[in-house]
Amino acid sequence: MVAPRPTALGRARRALGPAFWLLGLLVPVLLGGSWISILAIFAIYAIVALSQDIVLGRAGMYDMGHAVYFGVGAYVTAILNTRLGWPIFATWPIAIVVAALVGVVLSAGIVKLRGDYLLVATIGFNIIFVLALGNNVADVTGGPDGIFGIGVPQLFGTALSSQGALFYLDWLALAAVLLLMRNLERSRIGRVFRYLKEDELAATTLGIDARYYKILAFAIGAGVAGAAGTLFAVQLASVSPGSFVFTESVTLFAIVLVGGQASIPGVLLGTALMFVVPQVFRGLAQYRYFAFGIAMIVVMVLRPQGIWPRGRAR
Amino acid sequence: MTSARAGGPLLELDGISISFGGLRAVDDLSFRVTEGEIKGLIGPNGAGKTTVFNMITGVYRPDEGGIRFDGEEITGQAPHRVARHGILRTFQTIRLFAGMTVLENVLAGQHLRTRQTWWQSLLGTPGQRREERALVERTMETLQHLDLAGVAHEVATSLPYGVQRRVELARTLVAGPKLLILDEPAAGLNDRESAALNDTITSIRDGGVTILLVEHDMNVVMNVTDSIVVINFGKKIAEGGPAEIQRDPAVIEAYLGQDDEEAAA
Repeated sequence: MVAPRPTALGRARRALGPAFWLLGLLVPVLLGGSWISILAIFAIYAIVALSQDIVLGRAGMYDMGHAVYFGVGAYVTAILNTRLGWPIFATWPIAIVVAALVGVVLSAGIVKLRGDYLLVATIGFNIIFVLALGNNVADVTGGPDGIFGIGVPQLFGTALSSQGALFYLDWLALAAVLLLMRNLERSRIGRVFRYLKEDELAATTLGIDARYYKILAFAIGAGVAGAAGTLFAVQLASVSPGSFVFTESVTLFAIVLVGGQASIPGVLLGTALMFVVPQVFRGLAQYRYFAFGIAMIVVMVLRPQGIWPRGRAR
Repeated sequence: MTSARAGGPLLELDGISISFGGLRAVDDLSFRVTEGEIKGLIGPNGAGKTTVFNMITGVYRPDEGGIRFDGEEITGQAPHRVARHGILRTFQTIRLFAGMTVLENVLAGQHLRTRQTWWQSLLGTPGQRREERALVERTMETLQHLDLAGVAHEVATSLPYGVQRRVELARTLVAGPKLLILDEPAAGLNDRESAALNDTITSIRDGGVTILLVEHDMNVVMNVTDSIVVINFGKKIAEGGPAEIQRDPAVIEAYLGQDDEEAAA
């Protein structure tokens, strides 16, 4: 007896993820124009929300400045591509690494803080980040208007210029991040993050270096958010500070709590509620925050574990 | 109960003191734990026993004095560094990881024996998967020994109190401790469980682990310990074998004195 034998329900649950992803591949074939870009945006924000979940839902740190890392990735790609003429795919690893490093530097000073204090500090980071972008610090961020004219990714000499091609790129990236999250759940660091969330003192007396692993959670979360930033810059062909403001961080935070902490389907569902469902009701699109606001209240009161809570066993 | 099977001092406390807001919780305390023995640390409520444990395990840093383990200075080291020396502990109030299974809880004790790097964790490399399987197997063996295999996939915090105590013990044992520090391991156990605990503690020691325990249950203290340190108001008032301690006037005074106060209150 090593692992619990998977039940029929367990097997069905396990097949759900791949089935969902494969179904998504049909989107450009079955659905028209605007749906392709809506679901491309969904894939990008799903990646950011999953990265937020690493820090918040798994490691248990109240990071309410996660849009910073998303923004760092987007701006790194935008700057390298428009100023230095780098191909998009060449900027991608740099965006990931720079975002992860920013995550390390920013978190190093605050991971010792208790939940609510850490939350306020991360809000501070977000506010300063957006101010810096808007004030065109270092003369490369383009000020309040941001950066325009970001190029199209080239793959083996073909330009991924159509919405369909970009969707497939985003969808593949989502698959990679989903695999990463699954690996995390079955690994030492995934467990360590949860130990730290549940009882830091008990964890440290078992030899776990809390500071190291908390910074690592920020680094991984920030790196993944940075990867999504590149995709976001490509999708919109431009970046501006408005996409990375504090309220975006609040939205990401809420997606994880409403969907279900440390639950992959929960986070995907939360992202869909925020970014896809409002598009179905076109006329109601401007009530997006209103609808999600109501959802936030109702879920927290009636179902504090989230809409789709984490399953008990792996 | 034969003491001093291996001989040398494993843990040495040398005049440690700590104060909290003017209150001297532990005052110039010195004692040794010999390799291979079961040492008891007892004293009336509020005597500072848990504070001593917290200083050994790095949760608190002593204001004065030194702590040596296996010949190495460990005074004031962070808890995760202390654990690396092979000092593992349980808590007076059980501290399990809520919402996680027994297996997942006990796997935490394997942390220091795990080799996979963070990027191997993220990529799920074949070596990483092999290690995970080996970790689970080794952990299941320990669970079997402690009669916990049947509840391996249950949420630990949903189990009866006595079982949770065993889970916490299993979590420290898989770490392969040299010194095991037990903070009131019999608290909340019924008579049958407490008797079984005596056997468990003795067999852990026979497996080569030195044990330091704080306990109120005199049945446990008198039956399993090789020697006892008694403290009151943070000071050592007696040290010796269980039989000696039971006759010691200062010890009787400390405990009776407390009973008087309780009777008066």
